[in-house]
Amino acid sequence: MANFYSTPRSEANRKSKNSYFSVLCLLVCGLVVMTLVLLLASIFITGGNWLSWGFLFANHLEDNPEQSGIWQAIVGSIAMCVLCAICALPIGIGTAIFLEEFQPRNKWLRGLHWLVQLNINNLAGVPSIVYGILGVTAFVYMFSYFPSITPNDPPSYEIGANYRYQMRTLGGDIVNFPCPDKTDKSFRVDQPLEAVDSQGNVFMLKVVDRRSAAPKNDPVLLNQTVVKGKKPSLYAEKSFFYFHLPFGKTVLAAGLTLGLVILPIVIIASQEALRAVPASLREAALGMGATQWEAVREVVLPAATPGFMTGAILAMSRAVGEAAPVLAVMGGVLVTTNGLTHLMAKTPVLPVTIYKWAGDENVGFEHLAAAAIIVLLVLLLVMNSVAILIRSRYEKMLG
Amino acid sequence: MATNSQHDFEKALLRNYELKSSLWGRVSEALVMTSLVACGVFSLAITVGIIVLLVTQSVGFFSNADLAIDPITFLTDTKWSIGQTQGTPRYGILPLVSGTFRITGIAMLISLPVGLICAIYLSEYASPRVRSILKPTLEILAGIPTVVLGFFAIKFITPYMLQSIGEFKTFNAASAGIAVGILCLPLVTSLAEDALRSVPDSLREGAYGLGSTRLEVTLKVVVPAALSGIISAFLLALSRAIGETMVVALAAGSTPTFTADPRGPSQTMTGFIVETFQSESLEPDSIGYYSMYAVAAVLFVFTFTITLIGQLIRMRYQEVYS
Amino acid sequence: MTNHLGLITRAKTEKTMSWSQTLTDLDQDQPKKTTLHSQASSPHQKSPSEPKVAIAIKSFNAFYGDFQAIHDVNLNLPVKQVTAFIGPSGCGKSTLLKWINRMNDIVVSANATGSIKVGDLQILDRQTDVVDLRRRIGMVFQKPNPFPKTIFDNVAFGPRLHFKIGKQDLAELVEWSLRKAAVWDEVKDRLNKSALGLSGGQQQRLCIARAIASGPEILLMDEPCSALDPGSTSRVEDLIYELREQYTIVMVTHNMQQASRCSDRTAFFFKGEVIEEGQTDQVFTNPRQKKTEDYVTGKFG
Repeated sequence: MANFYSTPRSEANRKSKNSYFSVLCLLVCGLVVMTLVLLLASIFITGGNWLSWGFLFANHLEDNPEQSGIWQAIVGSIAMCVLCAICALPIGIGTAIFLEEFQPRNKWLRGLHWLVQLNINNLAGVPSIVYGILGVTAFVYMFSYFPSITPNDPPSYEIGANYRYQMRTLGGDIVNFPCPDKTDKSFRVDQPLEAVDSQGNVFMLKVVDRRSAAPKNDPVLLNQTVVKGKKPSLYAEKSFFYFHLPFGKTVLAAGLTLGLVILPIVIIASQEALRAVPASLREAALGMGATQWEAVREVVLPAATPGFMTGAILAMSRAVGEAAPVLAVMGGVLVTTNGLTHLMAKTPVLPVTIYKWAGDENVGFEHLAAAAIIVLLVLLLVMNSVAILIRSRYEKMLG
Repeated sequence: MATNSQHDFEKALLRNYELKSSLWGRVSEALVMTSLVACGVFSLAITVGIIVLLVTQSVGFFSNADLAIDPITFLTDTKWSIGQTQGTPRYGILPLVSGTFRITGIAMLISLPVGLICAIYLSEYASPRVRSILKPTLEILAGIPTVVLGFFAIKFITPYMLQSIGEFKTFNAASAGIAVGILCLPLVTSLAEDALRSVPDSLREGAYGLGSTRLEVTLKVVVPAALSGIISAFLLALSRAIGETMVVALAAGSTPTFTADPRGPSQTMTGFIVETFQSESLEPDSIGYYSMYAVAAVLFVFTFTITLIGQLIRMRYQEVYS
Repeated sequence: MTNHLGLITRAKTEKTMSWSQTLTDLDQDQPKKTTLHSQASSPHQKSPSEPKVAIAIKSFNAFYGDFQAIHDVNLNLPVKQVTAFIGPSGCGKSTLLKWINRMNDIVVSANATGSIKVGDLQILDRQTDVVDLRRRIGMVFQKPNPFPKTIFDNVAFGPRLHFKIGKQDLAELVEWSLRKAAVWDEVKDRLNKSALGLSGGQQQRLCIARAIASGPEILLMDEPCSALDPGSTSRVEDLIYELREQYTIVMVTHNMQQASRCSDRTAFFFKGEVIEEGQTDQVFTNPRQKKTEDYVTGKFG
């Protein structure tokens, strides 16, 4: 209807612009949804056929996509998750409590508070590769305080490693015996000593001066004889608590680095959890004569625990997908001979495996990469569902 | 109303209860407070650590007598060639920066408009049905790891989308840019939506009451009111795009080029750092090691300043409306 | 006490011991440790006809930043009686109440001058052990706020915090508190269930039980019935009337009928000042000030 101030045409114009815009919005939203669908569909099409139980439980085999699997990568990812959670959660929740519960009245301390809060928001935006660099310097090389680990030199400080010498006897068997001093490079076999053969039997190793002096007709004896002056090779049996300094390119260093990456997320999520606790509970606790820390410990923390847990899972699901810091610290590991036996080992993880496979020339690995992506997405889905489940169950409990 | 038995019961309860000693309480409180403050300081230490590390190692890069690199050349030279055996290696960072900006530019061209429109739709127009599809979609997109998007870029965007419309090489900036754009989209949408939502309804009602269409209310009243929040959203997404590593490592190639053409390989700063890590000859105190730090320092300066400005703007607008 | 960081911690001094001595009954055999329920008396012995004073407020001014919420209040709140603070919204009743147990410490901009004395303990003194003060002065809030724990844990919260108490004693104490708060029969079978499952009135009585479990001498109630339905309201009012046999109660209320039902003395607040204070009957039926008369007859507020 026309009025004094607008002609019918301009009003219709405005209305049509409005409806065009609505349509545009819908189209754009449709585009977004379609992009996601396209993304997921392409992954499933590429990799769906290559998913199998064999794939899940096998390990990577060089140049052989059909036989390769991601078992070590799955184990490694989960272990990395747990490790970085252990590192990040205590400090993260502590910082969140510090920021939310203890607001100081002093002007300078309030400035410190504001600075810490700003800093944490900023750290959340630092590229993960920069954390990788920090991790390499701080955890792998430990600021070059210790001499670096090279293949020929054992680390300067380590526990849990049992060094032994091994050598091949004249009969072809490989025997081993204890190594008293791992740094002694001049050790040669020149005395008979107690050794263990490949079957595990203990025997006395016999030494002869020349090869010609060896008992040629007795294969058993031959298997227990070596020529004098041979240099044995050194290897280490590492127990589950094997540990050395500097950390070097190990799971521990990677876990600590990932802990740094997720720390800001844990802090921000924990702050949200603490803010969600109603102020009336704190008032009630303080009114009962609790000190501030007692009020936090007895009332606020239990009430915020489900929020903490969902925050932790959120952070862990971010850590599971991070490839850059792990790549920097541990390198592009695809498979290890022994698996994850101790903290100082290397291990493949899912995102790094995907990255390496995607860049591999062998086309078969492209499909495997897609299959690994499916596994990764399923893992993320499971983690997020657990988070939602915890949250809804505890929300019922808190009433 | 107290009966006799109740009275006896009360009398029996009128005992002395010993107060808990306050010494242990004070000691444990002091311990707890110290450790909490230590946690707070720890996060500051991380930032300080990163800055100190990058600065000292970059100084090592520039003071290396063998190479005679000075900061000005580093920042302005247009060729980057480390470890070349023929010819003199040149250490101009501009190709890497150009690669970063090419990819970031394309990413922002995609994520900013789309993100803003999605945010406007979710905040102003939202029909519950569309919202129930769009919001989960964005949350899922936000949770997808970056390697997946990198894979998508190199296996799908490049062959099927780009190479069918033009002369795109296998590694190119455009497909990486599109993937990074998809990556940043949920971030822009959620931050912009927060900004739009925090505009008080009274402003909208006033405009509607004057006879405006929904579009006019949105564009002329709500968006200008939320402008600082939207700008902060853009800046934070920009910073994220600059720092993105895995997508560019997979899709953009490892050849630094100084050009505006998005169809060829273009290594970014982050891509270079990842490549250096993977090279076998990375030893502490080698030139590769130092160059990595120098590039990381420039990268950090970019992302840190942009994130800082974005955060400051966001904190300010949150104060205004809360 | 609040230390230099503005944080509440346990005090170094046993400053409150002097208070317990002054409020302890003439039962001379009682040892110096804190008793669960000491009968209050005061060294400020006035003539026998006047009630002994539990809380003496002198020249008290309270501020939130630059805004002055309370102007020069002088009040003497008698022992083991219910005093009601009435007045329209925003006139400072709740603020004064919160200052008595220093709850306003958590508000950063709040400060006050003047003196509030309980026995001979200066409440506003920086050295005062706020933690012990709040054990001695219980508070019940407007909206029931039980902790999201079991009913037992709610009531046991205070004793566990302050006393060295065995399990058997604790169970008895919890039962006693719940009986005293007239809610035992309704919860005795569900002590281990969440307190949030109770109705509003039950929750408020639970909060009262929680407050008396630590053995306070004074109870502060900030509009305890305003969030409750009429049935629960009357039960809580009966409870308050009973409790005054053992506790000094200060109650803030909007509801004048409630004040006239439950309280022995009434103070009428208006814009941060005490306009009139005296016996409840007298204030309601024969007010001395015109403003008071306007308020109690409903001309404003």
